[in-house]
Amino acid sequence: MADAPEILLQTSGLTRRFGGLLAVSDLNLDIRKGEILGLIGPNGAGKSTTFNLISGFMKPSSGTLQVFGKDCTGVNPTTISRMGLVRTFQHGSYMRSMTVRDNLLIGTVQGLAKAGAAARAKRVEETAEILGIAQFLDAVAGTLPHGIQRLVSIAIAFAARPRLLCLDEPLTGLNQTEVHSTLYVFRRIREEFDCTILLVEHNMKAVMAICDRIVVLHHGQQLATGTPAEVRQDDKVIEAYLGKRHAK
Amino acid sequence: MANLHIPRWLLGMALVLLATLFAKNAYTVSIINLMATAALVAASMRFVMLIGETSFASAAFVGVGAYGAGVATTLLQWPFWMAMLIGPLVATVLSILFGVITLRVKGPYFMLIGFAFAEAARIIFSKTALIGGTSGMVGIFPPRELDAWLPSFVTLVVLLFLFLLYALEKSDFGKVLVAIRDNENIAKTVGINVLFFKVACFAIASFCAGMVGSLHAFVNNVISPGDFGYLLASFALAYVKVGGEGSLFGAVGGALILVVLGSFALGLGAGEQLFYGGAIVAAILLMPNGLHGVVLGLRQKYLRRERGAASQGVR
Repeated sequence: MADAPEILLQTSGLTRRFGGLLAVSDLNLDIRKGEILGLIGPNGAGKSTTFNLISGFMKPSSGTLQVFGKDCTGVNPTTISRMGLVRTFQHGSYMRSMTVRDNLLIGTVQGLAKAGAAARAKRVEETAEILGIAQFLDAVAGTLPHGIQRLVSIAIAFAARPRLLCLDEPLTGLNQTEVHSTLYVFRRIREEFDCTILLVEHNMKAVMAICDRIVVLHHGQQLATGTPAEVRQDDKVIEAYLGKRHAK
Repeated sequence: MANLHIPRWLLGMALVLLATLFAKNAYTVSIINLMATAALVAASMRFVMLIGETSFASAAFVGVGAYGAGVATTLLQWPFWMAMLIGPLVATVLSILFGVITLRVKGPYFMLIGFAFAEAARIIFSKTALIGGTSGMVGIFPPRELDAWLPSFVTLVVLLFLFLLYALEKSDFGKVLVAIRDNENIAKTVGINVLFFKVACFAIASFCAGMVGSLHAFVNNVISPGDFGYLLASFALAYVKVGGEGSLFGAVGGALILVVLGSFALGLGAGEQLFYGGAIVAAILLMPNGLHGVVLGLRQKYLRRERGAASQGVR
């Protein structure tokens, strides 16, 4: 191949057991620079465990993890984050008692530790502008509507200006308009800030619309990998989601 | 940069110091000293609460501060300034060692370890013959020149440390501490070394606790292991809970009020401890956010009425 895409994150044979349960089994995942990769699967498929494994919040039972070309198997989340992989969490991924401004500030504290308070404040303003939450900067995060809190969660992570942004169900509970504007933000982040995105999401319409490639998990196994069109026609995927009857 | 309200602080400090100058009779002086040290121990307790932990170990660090002053003054005969600072510094070093090991656990686990640590420290104090064993140490005097000004001096030192804690809380450092309390995982995922910040917070609070001990030693001239049991930390917790942990001023206010009320309760004998326990229970039942919460509520009510009056005026 003339120009093979740069691989930002690679797992080989990544496995995690909980007692007798194989939550993630032999996962071989690669995330290419500049793409938006979707990770989908029915409930209990192992998506969240995968997220915890690649962000260092959970240690694999076996297999290896490479982040930005370095072996990161069993490395703690803080170290992985400092390399440029930042994630969000499914539930309440923000600080309730703090203002939106201080929430975003937390995202900048590590990266701009030496740059000074003015640089941090500027980064906060810029991030709020891009996410469209500038008018909420001085409100306390816990008092805001659900949709805005979701954006705040993304904004905290994005304020750290990661190279690889991992979003755990960022669209849950958003209305149609909010979904559209959030997808627009994802594209903008990717284009303007050279940020690769890994997306775990249940909203199929959104995933199909925005992702370059999709990985489907089922019972901890990697069921299929490919473009949205390929995955949509995959028999195994149809079976997993809709039952045998619907597959050819 | 956060607004630190420096003119207001200066004015407040000046007024408080001026008031201490009028204290001449021994009883008033002793109450002022008690109030000042209680305020700092409450502020120290609350500072650890910023990361969501309750530190019963503070009692041990107050003890270390006091014994530091005692040993340096009576055994080593160091100058006053050094004797005053050595206890807090040792307390800080110990708290870092203690914190690095124990701040990996949270909530009730951390509280219980702190509780055990405080009791162990008390037993060590009372079993060490060099520092007076069960009867403690006597003759810890401040320099003679300071005698007449002691309450003002103690109050000044306390006010300076209160301002330091206030400024730290308002800084980005303080915001990281609150973020760790609210959601530790987010702090981790944006690259913050959570343990480092927790230990730093704990060490700063412990330095203040050590300072309380040091001031206590010089004010009373006598210290004994019994002064530094877990009850001391329970009192500090009562100050914070009654005053409200939402703000530094709440904690300080709680300390001042409970010391005044407590000085009446002294006449009750063993009832004193019942009084403090009752105060915590009453505060939690009647004002869950403490005095600070009550004041905030009243202010909001007042503002709403003002706004209501204003809009009626327009009509």
